[in-house]
Amino acid sequence: MSTNKITYRDALAISMERALANNANVIILGQGVTDFKGLFGTTIGLHEKYPNRVIEVPLAEDSIAGICIGASLNGMYPINTHIRADFGLLVFNQLINLAAKYRYMFGGLFEVPMMMRMIIGRSWGQGAQHSQSLQSLLAHIPGLRVVMPSSPAAILASYEYAIEKYRGPVVMLEHRLLYELEFQDDVFISDTPLDGSRLIREGSDITVVATSVMVLEAKRAAEYLSRFGIMIEIIDLHSISHPDKEMILNSVRKTGKLVVADTSWSAYGVAAEVSRIINEIDPSMLAAPVINLGMQPAPCPTSKSLEDLYYPDVHDLVNAAATLHFNSFVHDIPLPEKQSMTDFYKHFKGPF
Amino acid sequence: MDQSQRLEYEALRIRMVEERIIELYPSDLIQSPIHLSIGQEAVAVGVCANLNPTDLVFITYRGHAFYIAKGGKLPELFAELMGRRDGISQGKAGSMHLASPIYGVIGASAVVASTISHAVGAALASKIKCETDKIFVANFGDGAMEQGAFYESMNFAALHKLPVLFLCEDNGLAVHSKKSERQSFDLATLVQAFNIPFYDLNEGFDPMKVFTVSKSAVGTVRSTQSPAFLRIKTMRYMEHVGPGEDLDIGFRPSGEIDRWKAKDPISNKTLISKHRDQIILEIDAAVKFALDSPLPTIEDLLTDVY
Repeated sequence: MSTNKITYRDALAISMERALANNANVIILGQGVTDFKGLFGTTIGLHEKYPNRVIEVPLAEDSIAGICIGASLNGMYPINTHIRADFGLLVFNQLINLAAKYRYMFGGLFEVPMMMRMIIGRSWGQGAQHSQSLQSLLAHIPGLRVVMPSSPAAILASYEYAIEKYRGPVVMLEHRLLYELEFQDDVFISDTPLDGSRLIREGSDITVVATSVMVLEAKRAAEYLSRFGIMIEIIDLHSISHPDKEMILNSVRKTGKLVVADTSWSAYGVAAEVSRIINEIDPSMLAAPVINLGMQPAPCPTSKSLEDLYYPDVHDLVNAAATLHFNSFVHDIPLPEKQSMTDFYKHFKGPF
Repeated sequence: MDQSQRLEYEALRIRMVEERIIELYPSDLIQSPIHLSIGQEAVAVGVCANLNPTDLVFITYRGHAFYIAKGGKLPELFAELMGRRDGISQGKAGSMHLASPIYGVIGASAVVASTISHAVGAALASKIKCETDKIFVANFGDGAMEQGAFYESMNFAALHKLPVLFLCEDNGLAVHSKKSERQSFDLATLVQAFNIPFYDLNEGFDPMKVFTVSKSAVGTVRSTQSPAFLRIKTMRYMEHVGPGEDLDIGFRPSGEIDRWKAKDPISNKTLISKHRDQIILEIDAAVKFALDSPLPTIEDLLTDVY
């Protein structure tokens, strides 16, 4: 899949439209999917076109998730949306106790193909309950595919595959900060796009494994550092539950140095998992300790001045990479000014 | 056999299966929790006698009776209980997660109230597909009626007019706690607030009475393609989990079970002696099938994960 100058939001809207048009069994259920804003513009007009299949729901996340499982058991492909991933915490019983286990627990008697779309909020004071990134909690659970698409091409490929080919429950963690961004020369090629990672940029000095919006920050950091002769290799982890371990190992074997940049907290998180992948095979491939960049270990504050300190960004990535490169916290690379990522992405007119 | 005799036979068959489970339990051939339906069999057979094979029943961890009443086979049941390769789910489910899709028994969950919404979702799918030949039964106990999912599911089913029978097997106990410790509402009033027709039976020991009231309730769901609610008072004779009784603990009113048993036709000695030998043969064959079945191996450990 390759796209030219479309936004992340466009890709989501196209995926939803195509899912309904190409598959008579697709239904979309979620709070706000039929209203005039259409889940940040990703479902606008679909209820009018498919009134029985795009369904506004009561505020009852637990049973709506269960209704999706029941509909799936009876031949539908439900797409259940959560305008904030935080509301997805209300479906954990159905998602973890039921959907993830339904096939295994009954010895293969049933399958529950379905999708949860969860949108990670950020900026404009989303605060503690509109900002959480649940990938580590979810990817911990056998039976779930957890994907964080970082570009339109990744969305188009993974959503179509999930809906038309894959027979289990999938969680798509979308990032709100990416919605308005336009991407150029965006390519995603995979036969199994719910599994595996993407090599975004080749480089010889330092490996950056990043998720979601942090992939874009890693690209900015790599551009910046290339001016100083430091070559960054970027891996977009993409499938959080089923990353490409070989890709990570091969890259770290080459560079010996690793930065993990994730959208969530560090404890028991993505960096811990990437470190596990390396340590179980051969920790000696690391020439230096891994640097992890994640959210500060606190609930997300609302005040913008605190929020800007709370998340890591290009400034921290450049510092981390330079520290590893020179094997010293003191180095000569001037750091890019600490600028609010929110401001950058809101005013960024792309394309990426 | 007339309808009443057929129902009593089916109920007795279920009871004897569970009595065999009790008998086998000390041998450790069944190494998982068991939640027995003894005392509640009439509910399962009376309701299921009104259902077609294509109607789907969403059951609970106390699911042996519904599994059997809906047509589930005994050899695969015993093999499943013993964790064998030829169990209905190859030993990965056990007693708490019985299912038999070909007979319309959808998976049982060990989390109270968690399959009620599945019945509603399956009914929604049916409505979208314009099917009108199936109904969906959400089977749960009185404890489930305290969960939010119960209200959420009734609301959705009523709002979208979905062909769901909400079936409450009311044994009055959630593990050891009584309804008076748990519930503040009047059920009939509650159900009526959703404009769902309410059917109620106190004599849940009587298979024929269950059959008759559920015929009406099932008929309403079929003809209106909208939900109905059926509450049947019943009696759990055994402990919440395990092969024993719990009368010695003293948390249940003394004589309550004896009074119920006196009216329970399946406890009737004439009925038992009439059918006993035939049912024993069937159960013996099922147990043999299970014992002859191999145990699953490392080859099975990671199949069907996703």
